[in-house]
Amino acid sequence: MKPAVGRSAAGRFNLRHASAAQTADHFLAGIPTLWLAIFFLAPLGFTVVFSFGRSTFGGVALDFTFANYATALSGFYGAAFLRTLVFAATASGLCLLVAFPAAYFIARHTSRFRLLAITLILIPYFSSFLIRVMALTMLMSREGFLEMILNALHLHQGPLDLLDTQTAVFVGIVYAYLPIAVVPLVVVLDRIPKGLTEASRDLGATRWETFLLVTLPLSRPGIASAIMLTAVPMLGEMVIPKLLGGSRGVLMGQALSSQYLQAQNYPLGSAMAVLVLLGVAVIVGLLAWVTKGFAEVGR
Amino acid sequence: MTRILRSTARSLTRRSVLGLLGAAPAAAALTSVGLRASRAKAATGQLNIYSWPDYFSTADLEAYAKKTGVTPNISTYDSDDTMFAKVNSPAGAGFDIVIPGSSWIKQLAAKGLLEEIDHGKLDLASLDPHLLNRDYDPGNKYSIPKDWGLLGVIYNPEAVGGEIKTWEDFFKAGEKPGVSGKIRMSDSGWETIGPELWLQGKDWNAVGEAEIRKAAERLKAFAKHVKSFSGLDANALANGSIVLAQTNQAKARAAIGLNPKLKWVVPGPWSELWVDNYVLIKDAPNLEQAYDFLAFQLRPEIQLAETEYIGFPAALNGLRDKLGADVKDADLIFGGKDVDFSKLTSFVVNPETVGFYSQLQTEIQAAAG
Repeated sequence: MKPAVGRSAAGRFNLRHASAAQTADHFLAGIPTLWLAIFFLAPLGFTVVFSFGRSTFGGVALDFTFANYATALSGFYGAAFLRTLVFAATASGLCLLVAFPAAYFIARHTSRFRLLAITLILIPYFSSFLIRVMALTMLMSREGFLEMILNALHLHQGPLDLLDTQTAVFVGIVYAYLPIAVVPLVVVLDRIPKGLTEASRDLGATRWETFLLVTLPLSRPGIASAIMLTAVPMLGEMVIPKLLGGSRGVLMGQALSSQYLQAQNYPLGSAMAVLVLLGVAVIVGLLAWVTKGFAEVGR
Repeated sequence: MTRILRSTARSLTRRSVLGLLGAAPAAAALTSVGLRASRAKAATGQLNIYSWPDYFSTADLEAYAKKTGVTPNISTYDSDDTMFAKVNSPAGAGFDIVIPGSSWIKQLAAKGLLEEIDHGKLDLASLDPHLLNRDYDPGNKYSIPKDWGLLGVIYNPEAVGGEIKTWEDFFKAGEKPGVSGKIRMSDSGWETIGPELWLQGKDWNAVGEAEIRKAAERLKAFAKHVKSFSGLDANALANGSIVLAQTNQAKARAAIGLNPKLKWVVPGPWSELWVDNYVLIKDAPNLEQAYDFLAFQLRPEIQLAETEYIGFPAALNGLRDKLGADVKDADLIFGGKDVDFSKLTSFVVNPETVGFYSQLQTEIQAAAG
């Protein structure tokens, strides 16, 4: 942005002042840029270079071959890649389904207690991710709390063994990612002016039509952020399938780490990592396209 | 020791005095010179160990610290794979002692990452000969056994409806209605495919790709009966959500402690003996301290205390008879009363085939999903 330049002495002073402030800004912005360049871009560069190399068991011989990509996309790994995409899409959709009503309630009906409500949503982050997931195993295992409660309420008879099932994995993943889906939705729903929904009602729309035709389209940027913040990390999720799913039905995260660690095949692992990254880029691109022209929402 | 303390105290005073005079940089320079000089003169006073978590008795570590003034810095890993990846990277250079499993020692040595052990400084004569001079390190050139374990099977005889003696019995039992879906298997390719190779009369260290793939077919078909490939929870065996599991003798002992009806067996025709070994890292920064620590660890009374603490048997010969009478299920610590070491084999990672074992394990786990 170019500041307006005046011919007066005051104008020149402002210019000098502005450029000094700009230099300071650039300097401050440079620190995180440098940080990212060293700790993100450089390793990413290695990963891309490795993905074209040949494996020497715990090492890489530099080369230019597409063999790793061919392996990573063929047969078994291609199927795992697809399964992972479907898994992330499903889990992220479930997350959104649970998060939206919660966010709607917080944005619309908690004027005085909003801070409290958001704090309550974020409280799980006070303990480590691993401990929260481990705690779920106690709930879901045989003779666990869930079995006790459901039996006491006569909603279920006999032993309940949820642990090491797909259901457990989805319950766990929705639980773990729910808070980061709720927060962007609250922000965006809160910004939709009340006047718009009132006008819609005045013009004869039912509550449901108002929600579908006014609120939902206007909350698209929040939905996009929520999907991005949940689906992207879910693509690499390893811990929850391992602790709650008995490591069955392998996802890309596990396949990738076993190439790096067990098989010591860094080039194939790198090719898989690059593919997952491309998957992420596609998701982000799609979401950016869906929310195009929304910069002015809520102004 | 006193020399270090005294020289540190001296440089500290010097720094504060110079600092007061506004000559902080000079003070810093002086301090660093002083420290370097004192480090060169005194014993190293440090020891960096890379190990499984909770793998040393805290009481023994305290005793060692009391004796020598050195508290080892222990960093931990959660799998041999992670250990190998780190020791094989520049990040591995700061360690003195690492505790790799027997399967990785040959590769670590082949990559030139290990220091040859000076047998003049450590006497291995007191250790169990079954654990010495094995395939992965003939003559114990690079490794000293720390403790060991077996691949075996724990099962609920009522659910399984009979006795398990061989791996064939294991696979057959797994297909039964009350057992299918309540099975835990290892997450390591050679531990799931190995049993089928042994049944076919093959050596898991000598087979090629085709034989490994062929054996893995049975496992892929069997996978639908498996409930979990993750770590085994002794409670799951006690409450019956798992009734048949591949595991080691320490986990089995814990589960039998909770449910005495469970049975443990090391199935035939072959099974695995793994040995976790002390190794010294090439150009270890505190080599003398490392030898001193190893000599301490090899003392009979420490071997005994370590066994009681970690639940896996240390390498001392005749250890079973030295254990106190109050130790519960003591025989199980050693894998049972009648373990036949001549029917046990240790896996040795071979770069040509280990990739197939791990890739097929991934496929087996996927087939279970």
